[in-house]
Amino acid sequence: MMKRLIILISLLFVVTACEKPVPQTAQLIDLEEFTKITTSNSGDKVQVINFWATWCKPCVEELPAFEKLQAQYGDDVEVILISLDDEENLEQLVNPFLATNEIQSQVKLMTHPYAAEWIPLVDAHWDGAIPVTLIKNKTDKRFYNQSFTYDELEDAIEPFL
Amino acid sequence: MKTLKILTTVAIFGLAVVIGVMAYTNVENTESESFSDQESSTNTTAIKPPVKSKGYDIGDIATDFRLKNIDDSMVSLRDFPDADGYIVIFTCNHCPYSVAYEDRIIALDKEFKTQGYPVIAINPNNPESYAEDSFENMKKRAGEKGFTFPYLFDAGQKIYPQYGATKTPHVYLLKKEEGNNVVKYIGAIDDNHKDANAIKNDYLRDAVNALIANEPIKQTKTVAIGCSIKA
Repeated sequence: MMKRLIILISLLFVVTACEKPVPQTAQLIDLEEFTKITTSNSGDKVQVINFWATWCKPCVEELPAFEKLQAQYGDDVEVILISLDDEENLEQLVNPFLATNEIQSQVKLMTHPYAAEWIPLVDAHWDGAIPVTLIKNKTDKRFYNQSFTYDELEDAIEPFL
Repeated sequence: MKTLKILTTVAIFGLAVVIGVMAYTNVENTESESFSDQESSTNTTAIKPPVKSKGYDIGDIATDFRLKNIDDSMVSLRDFPDADGYIVIFTCNHCPYSVAYEDRIIALDKEFKTQGYPVIAINPNNPESYAEDSFENMKKRAGEKGFTFPYLFDAGQKIYPQYGATKTPHVYLLKKEEGNNVVKYIGAIDDNHKDANAIKNDYLRDAVNALIANEPIKQTKTVAIGCSIKA
């Protein structure tokens, strides 16, 4: 009887936890995976790849716009947040940040410290300041060296849909 | 009563399994989408974004300035008549990338000041955007770290846009030529902010050494991640 009750309670916990989507944790990526994500094309969805970091104030300010985009256009758009935080800060800074802000978009963390080797892969005009955003589909891509509001993001993805 | 409890347990368990499976399927979908369709990558036609042409390029003449130093004196490039040039570094307090380079900037100043290329650091940020970058906090940080170089405050954020600095740290290496300060190198200090002992390319040091040796600089423009400057 007691055993059943415990099972029941634990199952209730599982169900309650499932009601609210679990925040993302950052997935570590190396140069090879970074290259794949940023230079190749996805399936049918428009990819919106945002480069950010927890220490970057304008990046953090625009994250809600990307989250809203993922929520509103999830069927057609795939938002990928690539964190440029240091790998050492994954558990202490990045994942707690994602939990606190209940981030639902997928998050990757770039582990290759030699940025000069991968900045040009994203765009020839990028000098390394963040935030920047790359939008692409099967045929086109465009690099945005700017901060975004939700309305601006909607306008930006329009030609790619 | 007991039967009811068993039924409830079974029902909840079933629901949990269904939700679990749905969540798992969802994750699988996302994964496969992000890495599929490799072969069509060559067909990508880039839509060219508008190119921003603000700030200096290599060979341009850099402006002098008159900015307040952490010792409350006003500092200009012309205050260093014996210098052959300047290592101008836009940097600040709040940015972890700037902090990571503090010791290396001090070392560069010590190494090159005596060879005619002093470091001139400028904080380009508006303290209203970043409280950590206020003039008082600049004094504090410079004292804590024992900065050996001027650490100037770009009051009103007027100088960094003329140089075209976008982030911290952002280096402009200048050489005096016929009374003008000519831009010789723009970009990063080196290629590994995390570990000074694991640098593959010591961009700035190599560039200054090339100027001193009167040789061409191998890489005149480099990129690195940095914190966006906020006006």
